[in-house]
Amino acid sequence: MIPAILLPLAHVGHWWVYVLYAVPVVIVLGSVAVTLVRDRRGRDRRG
Amino acid sequence: MRMGSRRRHAVAATTLAGVATALLALPATATAHAPLVGRQDIPIPEWLFAWGASLVLIVSFVALTIAWKEPRFEEDRWRAVSERVSGLLVNRATALAAGTLGVLLLALVVYSGLYGTESPDRNFSVTFVFSTFWLGLVVLSTVFGDVFRAFNPWRAIARGVAGVFTLVAGQPAPPPLRYPERLGRWPAVAGIAGFAWFELVYALSGFQAVGLTPHSVAIATLVYSGWTFAGMALFGIDRWLERGEAFSAFFNMFSRLAPLEVREGKLGRRPWLTGTTGWATVPGSVGLVLLVIGMTAFDGASEGLLKEPIGSLERSLEGLGPVAALRLSNTIYLLVAVASVAGIFWAGIAGMHTVRDRGATHSTRDLGRLFAHGFIPIALAYLVAHYFTFFVFLIQAQFTFLLSDPLGDGSDLFGTASSGIDYGLIGTELNWYVQVGALVAGHVLALVLGHDRALKVYGDARTAARSQYWMLAMMVGFTTLGLFLLSVSNA
Repeated sequence: MIPAILLPLAHVGHWWVYVLYAVPVVIVLGSVAVTLVRDRRGRDRRG
Repeated sequence: MRMGSRRRHAVAATTLAGVATALLALPATATAHAPLVGRQDIPIPEWLFAWGASLVLIVSFVALTIAWKEPRFEEDRWRAVSERVSGLLVNRATALAAGTLGVLLLALVVYSGLYGTESPDRNFSVTFVFSTFWLGLVVLSTVFGDVFRAFNPWRAIARGVAGVFTLVAGQPAPPPLRYPERLGRWPAVAGIAGFAWFELVYALSGFQAVGLTPHSVAIATLVYSGWTFAGMALFGIDRWLERGEAFSAFFNMFSRLAPLEVREGKLGRRPWLTGTTGWATVPGSVGLVLLVIGMTAFDGASEGLLKEPIGSLERSLEGLGPVAALRLSNTIYLLVAVASVAGIFWAGIAGMHTVRDRGATHSTRDLGRLFAHGFIPIALAYLVAHYFTFFVFLIQAQFTFLLSDPLGDGSDLFGTASSGIDYGLIGTELNWYVQVGALVAGHVLALVLGHDRALKVYGDARTAARSQYWMLAMMVGFTTLGLFLLSVSNA
């Protein structure tokens, strides 16, 4: 299933393949940002 | 409720672990696929390895958060081994033998460099300095501890001279200057930066008959020896070796990962990694570990990602002359690579600084020093990933024809002069898996060290985990960067 979805992505072109390396970093940084926002909202609610 | 949350985390971790394992195991199950991108010998694209490696890191992070609630590395757990074993390995005779061997090898580097063949690959000096010494001692230090201290030729010579002085004068000679504490390891950082420049920039034109030759290696060795003797004479032998001597600081950094350490003449054991915790408190330590990562990253990038930009800059500097343009353009990009690694590190530390620690007021700089030891396994991983094949090939040369014919003059001292390097020993596929394995393992260890330190700094597991989100981001960044650079230079 996973190879069936992901492997064709490798054919999208040389330059785009490089962008795929950044995906995990973007996901982790995104989750860090979400956590920060949630923490801030939690603190605001608690006053 | 709490247990439910834990269970959810455990289920998530298990699922992620399964996906990560599946991704990294794909080569074993997908060999029927045609080659896709870049390398012709691995059946899935290299970026998918980066995704798999990132998943391994995320799983490790979740597992640490769930299961690792108390710091385990902060306590000094060094214990002396039995007197018999310690006495057998650490004594005057072994110290004398190791020091003498170190001095003989130093002399051979200089002699073969000055009087041997000018062909770099047939001369003992070049292979010994850049492979056996620079990389081989990293491996030995990581496994057996600070072995370079025993073999350090400059230390052996200085101790010999100091011993003779004491015999003649009846008292030891105190160093004329006190080593400034704020200098920390910065002189060593400067030394390693010089070595990096010599290896990665100056050496570039070596095979065009002007750059790195055995002769230049010998001269550089003599210059560095003079610098080291001056440092020891001014600040004392042990002080300069601990702080200012570049190779002592470099190998000592990796020895902190090892389970063995000699203290006050006694050999002792400690759990792996625990020696790292106090390492980065000395100024300059952060700079040293980041420099090693940055210079290795540059070496990889200059063969791939940065090849075009360096070439472009070189062409624009042609008015300076071809060699100067080549060296200046590479110097600039070497600095850019080190600055980029430092930028990622300090950005992560600045993020960590936004997490409130309980009562303690750690500045960003303090946090950098508190967490820099976690980057030692990354420096090791980068070295292994980048130089694995280089080392395996050249170590064969070292112990075959260079051993029997160090000057390249046709002699055959041990009957191995006609042996050569078996380039088929490591296939490109095995090389790639070693590279991926080293990078993943190094970054997981970095997460472990960072998490353990965070538990101490932030007090409770939840805040520690919050702070380590940033460390996770850095680890994923460094891993994908490492794999990206390797894939481009391998292509």
